[in-house]
Amino acid sequence: MTNELPPGLAIQKVDERIMTLNVGPQHPGSGHMRIIVQIDGDYIVACDPDPGYVHRGEEKMAEYRNYITNIPHLERPVIHDSCNILYPYVLGVEELLGIEVPERAKYVRVICAELNRCIYIMYWLAIYGIFLGHSTMFMWPAGDRELLIDLMEKISGARVTHAHFVPGGVRNDLPPNFEEVCLRQINYFEKRIKEYAAVFYDNPILISRTENTGVLSREDAIRLGTTGSVLRASGVDYDLRIKEPYDVYEELDVHSPVMKEGDSYARSKIPWLDMLESCNIIKQALQKMPKSGSVRVKLKPNPKGKGFDSVYKRVESGRGSLGCHIVSDGKVEPYRLKLSVPSFRNLIALPYLLKGEKLGNMPSVYWSLNYWPVEADR
Amino acid sequence: MTNTATGIIRALNSGIKHIATKRFTLRYPEEKLKFVGDGYQYDPATGVGIAGLKGRHMLFHDHCTGCQLCSIACEGVAEAIAMVKVPEEQKQNKKSIMPQIDYGKCVFCGLCVDACPFYALYMTNDYELSSFTKEGLIYTPAQLQVKPYVAQDSEIIITKWGATHG
Repeated sequence: MTNELPPGLAIQKVDERIMTLNVGPQHPGSGHMRIIVQIDGDYIVACDPDPGYVHRGEEKMAEYRNYITNIPHLERPVIHDSCNILYPYVLGVEELLGIEVPERAKYVRVICAELNRCIYIMYWLAIYGIFLGHSTMFMWPAGDRELLIDLMEKISGARVTHAHFVPGGVRNDLPPNFEEVCLRQINYFEKRIKEYAAVFYDNPILISRTENTGVLSREDAIRLGTTGSVLRASGVDYDLRIKEPYDVYEELDVHSPVMKEGDSYARSKIPWLDMLESCNIIKQALQKMPKSGSVRVKLKPNPKGKGFDSVYKRVESGRGSLGCHIVSDGKVEPYRLKLSVPSFRNLIALPYLLKGEKLGNMPSVYWSLNYWPVEADR
Repeated sequence: MTNTATGIIRALNSGIKHIATKRFTLRYPEEKLKFVGDGYQYDPATGVGIAGLKGRHMLFHDHCTGCQLCSIACEGVAEAIAMVKVPEEQKQNKKSIMPQIDYGKCVFCGLCVDACPFYALYMTNDYELSSFTKEGLIYTPAQLQVKPYVAQDSEIIITKWGATHG
């Protein structure tokens, strides 16, 4: 036995200048996670994000439930983006079981996914606003989000955790007269979010606080494996809706926004531009959608996979590419289910972004990563 | 400097415009949001549900056969549904068992409604289910039979001056 302690218990040398600060896990500024920050005066020397406080064992839980009863618990990690987290799972199970989905169901799914993306981004924007001390930017998105929640409630019956996507289509058809109501509310929503530019995005106070802070270069963004808004803010044009179109995204005209700067201003602006694009996609989908037809293929109550098989599907969620790897061994339950979530992949960039920044810039840089702790911990 | 000045003036201008707009907030206990349809219902013939609010369930005693499919559907989700013996004075089915739902556990996913092949179970728009005791959240088949009365009439109205909850 040696006198050396394991790395976690080793006594660290105390530096007179460096102070270690724990931000979280109960701190409202960090979410359900801890950021261990070492500061020299006002400047951050090193930072170590420490996720894992809300680990729920979603992947293990999925091994004990069949393909249908997995739906309600799989959407819990991101309740605001519940359609998008179910999307890869549903696409994967459809491929495992060999189901062909009706055309109308695919359009309904695209509409739901885009509405959910906007709902998520509005929630994120509200938090981003309040952590920069901009109370108006908390109140406006939280209120305007209601327009979209109302639409989702009309479609699925629930405000959050819709449990709307199932293998073989969607749970129910769009309510009568939905196209008209949706178009009216989406048009108003678009008008509202364009107003945010005057209050928030073109505001010189916001620009001076976020511009050139936490710069992630194009090479670093690719090397660290970031996805979604973080990657696109660094000048990489990579969107799964365009690169690997699923369902009916091929037939729709999608232009995902890209910015070159890579600072936290760009990272906070990309989701806002994404919302404008989502409104565009919803309008196109409403127009091109078949006016009638089936939206669900009837399945057995306990569908089974065909022998040993595995499938990996990924979609573009509100935060980036969200993948789901399902391994089936021919039983009613999946043998293994792995979620590859964008939040966890974007978090790795945090130590690189915060090095050399002022401590006051930490909230703006941290929230600009579009990080959702519960999703990262699964 | 001019950029800063115009930026602040634009922001203020946009804020001032909101003095004239109506309040968007829904005054919840007095006003309730109107909803499409009756409740979440499922058509076993086509395999498709009918959109509706996912509130507490309603059980049609004359349709329920006691087949336990709802209870099986709930097994991996919340285990909220238990099949209980129906008292003799009430309407009986073949097995004389009917679902009893514990709303302390229910997650309102609606999979039990999808599982019912006899149109016996569907969800209503009653979502105010609070109780002082845990037992008060357990709804027996007799309680589930009662059709709830919920007055919901507000909806989002969009005008030139902005959106309000009417």
